Amino acid sequence: MSLAEAVEPLRDAVVWLFEVSAVPVLGYFVLINTSYLVLIGLAALDFRSYLRGRKTVVDTLGGELTPGVSVIVPAHNEEAGIVTSVKALLSLRYPGHEVVVVDDGSTDSTFERLRDAFDLVELPREVSQDVPVRARVLGLHVPRDGRTRLIVVQKENSGRSEASNVGVNAATEPLVAMIDADSILEPDALLRVAKPFADDPTRVVATGGAIRPVNGCRVVAGRIVSVGLPQRWMPRIQVVEYLRAFLLGRTGWSRFKGLILISGAFGLYRRDTYVEAGGLDPDSIGEDFELVLRMHRILRDADVDYRVEFVPEPVSWTEVPSTFRVLRNQRRRWHRGLWETLWQYRGMLFRPRYGRIGMVALPYYWAFELMAPLLELYGIVIVPVALLLDVINIPFALLFLAFAYGYALLVTLAAMALEEWAFHRHERWRDLGIALVAAVLENVGYRQLTVWWRLEGWWASLRGKKQVWGVMTRTGFNEGGSEQGAPPGHPRVSERGASAGDVTVPERAKGGAA
Amino acid sequence: MISWSSILAATLGVLLVCVALAGVVAAIRIRRHSREARRSRLMAPFRPHLVAVSAGEDPGGDSRRVLADVAGPARRALAESVSGMLGKVRGLPAEQLVEVLASHGALGRAVEDLGHRSPVRRAQAAQLLGLSRDPAAVDPLVGALGDHAAEVRASAAYALGLIGDPRAAGPLLHAVGAPGGGLPAGLAADALLSMGVGISDSLVHGLVDPDPRTRTVTAHLCGAGSFTRALPLLRDLVALDPDLTVRETCATALGRIGRAEDAEVLTRHTQVEHPQPLRRVCAAALGELGDPSAVPTLAALTHDPDPRLAELAASTLVRLGPQGRAALAAGGALRPVRSAMTMARLQGVLP
Repeated sequence: MSLAEAVEPLRDAVVWLFEVSAVPVLGYFVLINTSYLVLIGLAALDFRSYLRGRKTVVDTLGGELTPGVSVIVPAHNEEAGIVTSVKALLSLRYPGHEVVVVDDGSTDSTFERLRDAFDLVELPREVSQDVPVRARVLGLHVPRDGRTRLIVVQKENSGRSEASNVGVNAATEPLVAMIDADSILEPDALLRVAKPFADDPTRVVATGGAIRPVNGCRVVAGRIVSVGLPQRWMPRIQVVEYLRAFLLGRTGWSRFKGLILISGAFGLYRRDTYVEAGGLDPDSIGEDFELVLRMHRILRDADVDYRVEFVPEPVSWTEVPSTFRVLRNQRRRWHRGLWETLWQYRGMLFRPRYGRIGMVALPYYWAFELMAPLLELYGIVIVPVALLLDVINIPFALLFLAFAYGYALLVTLAAMALEEWAFHRHERWRDLGIALVAAVLENVGYRQLTVWWRLEGWWASLRGKKQVWGVMTRTGFNEGGSEQGAPPGHPRVSERGASAGDVTVPERAKGGAA
Repeated sequence: MISWSSILAATLGVLLVCVALAGVVAAIRIRRHSREARRSRLMAPFRPHLVAVSAGEDPGGDSRRVLADVAGPARRALAESVSGMLGKVRGLPAEQLVEVLASHGALGRAVEDLGHRSPVRRAQAAQLLGLSRDPAAVDPLVGALGDHAAEVRASAAYALGLIGDPRAAGPLLHAVGAPGGGLPAGLAADALLSMGVGISDSLVHGLVDPDPRTRTVTAHLCGAGSFTRALPLLRDLVALDPDLTVRETCATALGRIGRAEDAEVLTRHTQVEHPQPLRRVCAAALGELGDPSAVPTLAALTHDPDPRLAELAASTLVRLGPQGRAALAAGGALRPVRSAMTMARLQGVLP
């Protein structure tokens, strides 16, 4: 039997597959990208209001009804940057905020650095169990001056979610802000992200702020002094990706009143609602996504009139992965967290009781966030196979791919146009040119790799493989103006950020504030 | 199967839009830069005068005269700069800047501009009317509280706060909970507080408004502005309001302005059958109220299984003076009490 005869059945199968699936797969690509365009359109409406507000200069930040905020900072082995971070957080513009650092069993001198910097003394305070926590609290310290609003809680190591929950238990203000120890908040970020609570004090239960990659920016004393793009293409592509998926995507969902994810890297919650919902689930991979969905379910079940909002202007800057290994781990976890959380809350799907969450947002996440890599992989495999077997000709295949990825590029460019119109954070022409090139390059290799990694994460979950926390490699941010981060001893920035799959999961050292 | 021609047409269309969008990105930037440059060029001769007036360093009025005489395209650029500056300055410089705008006829056009099709123009007109502090502007501004654009409603509320006429209090409170796009509660609260004691009647009505946002704002204002006429309603709402935020806000207000008999109301709501956040707020409010009749209840609360509530009760007892501190002596070994005492020492409340 010749080779041609041997592959003939395969050829027939591919022909059949191609005939059956070409239109649906292409239709899926068109639909998914069109849905992104719709979200971008919704975000445009929101940005228009923002721009009008900027022109009309009614500065209502920090007014009468602005509630107090406890900023919760889980920290595990953050000795290098913790003091700078806490000082920056204490000096945020806000009429009444405290910083609660939860030292999650650090094995370095995180606590000692804080104790020395702020002259901490032990307080015999018993931390409540408003949110039940398994790990033991070892002690609570406050500055000796009695004025600096800092609380440092030491606890046994049990992971980031539990550390956050302990922080909420120790918090004394009505709102709790979740941030990473190594994220950088803009000076008025807290004011802006808390504004919806002052505007609508009875209904708003949670808000999220925008997250942008800090790679390539210049940082001095925990503050961004100039915004730039990273040197390497991989983080550059992530800058564009974050812009499209998080800034525009979440603003769109918020406008639609269907926001189901607030990133753990920068979110603000009503403390009572957080407690009532039971806090972050320490056993969840996508714990921030899971919490917001749980809140939705509880509040809808109780027929409560509530709002969850995204505020695009306050920015938390966070480092994104700059190596393939770390990016792979991140994306695997993100997709695994997405799958496990969606599966956990499958009972909300298509239930009118859950309004837009159950009828639109969750089905969308199933169809376009969870399934997307599967369909994309199918496309990536079938086209070359079809080419190999001479089922389709090369020009047609290239045209097919050009259309699919061209439309994806169109979505990214629309997002960039909107960003340029509303925020224009990257002022240099060179950065704009690089971002445009990154938008194109995203479709060449990067996108296909992330598809594979996301499927790896999903597959690991389906096989019941235990989640293993990898070791985070951070390059640190640019303190001195050089591109590649800080030398040892300088503050570092985590890559936790937010996920392209719109789910965030931790990217922490094993056994750390995971 | 997909035809050649259709996929070719679609791909070309998509790529063309991509090229166009890249051009749009660049065009947006070029337009912004050129507008900024033009405005900067137009304003260059007048900027020192604007800075002088804004800084209150124009005693002779020379700079104001220069600014008043500005004509042509520079006048529009100046108006934008002055409007921007008005959001940052207060007092005499603000009044002098408004004079400049008035000399350009901007104030005269402001009422008319409230009906302009551009929401930005309407919002700016509302603010200008507020800065004029002309009581005649109250009625049109009250009308603007119902504008379909949120920023116009916000500007109208801000302007009404600047004018400070209590006639606007009722409509402002109503606008907070208006269906289909209310007014930001915090902004309304700021505006209402600047209207003085004349808002008392409106507050009484606001406390029985069907919308919980309006009731929250009203309860907060009652406490912040010492409106004791509202005390009976505040007591009722602490007990009966269906919204927990309203109950908490009323409890805080009672703590600020309540009478001795309100200690009993607050004490009652520290009991275990009430929601935990309300119990904590009431314990803190008892400290604000400062009535010694709450001492036995607070002393009992230091034994509460909720450590936060127990510490709040202990802190409140510290603040209540010798009588409260004497009550603490019995529970001195309790962790919440020790914690409260330690904090009081660090803060210099106790020696």
